[in-house]
Amino acid sequence: MLLKSRGDDVGKNLRLKSSRAAKDMSQKVLAEAAGVTRQTINAIENGDYNPSVNLCISICRILGKTLDQIFWEDDDDAEK
Amino acid sequence: MRRNELDEMQLQKRNKIGNQAFMLLFYLLMTDIGLYGFGFRWLKYPLNVYVLMMVCMTYYLIRVVWQSSFVGPQQSKKTMGKKTRYLTGAVGFVAAVTVFIFQKYFNVIPASNGQDDGALILMVFSIVLIIIAAGVSFIAKRQNKDDNNSM
Repeated sequence: MLLKSRGDDVGKNLRLKSSRAAKDMSQKVLAEAAGVTRQTINAIENGDYNPSVNLCISICRILGKTLDQIFWEDDDDAEK
Repeated sequence: MRRNELDEMQLQKRNKIGNQAFMLLFYLLMTDIGLYGFGFRWLKYPLNVYVLMMVCMTYYLIRVVWQSSFVGPQQSKKTMGKKTRYLTGAVGFVAAVTVFIFQKYFNVIPASNGQDDGALILMVFSIVLIIIAAGVSFIAKRQNKDDNNSM
């Protein structure tokens, strides 16, 4: 299942956080590269904000990952 | 994304807060009308509307700043240039001198009979507005500073 609808408890996006850490990027650097605020990246990581597809693609491009790798949530993940 | 624009989360939050502020203003005005109908007048006519508008505007500004939706991700620093500063000062000075000359030599009779306190309300309104704008600007600048705990 892709991200749940807005307003639901999306859950923390740890894969985004780990991908960012693997690239040794701070939230601020990633936010600047994606053209958003640091608070937005923080909200996405904490599951407080459901980003648009355009922003997801932008983040994935910056991190060198695919949408699946960062934003796809399969049933096993959803149950956790 | 163009520079100086709010990002999508900021826009979403600002729109939400704007809607809330609008509905708040609507309900407050309706309540005020209701109270007026029951004979309860907490303030004279134009002043009560101004106060309600101020309350809603303050609510909107505080919430927008609190939710980090006041400045965009790459907002350039807004500072007045020297020319703009001089021009603003000159315009203010000319306006003050003009008002003084009109008052002193042309004996302008006020349009109202002295019972209307609209001018006073407008003055207070403007002063409060300037104070709020200064406060918001200060908070926004502080929020826009780089924070080091973003790793």
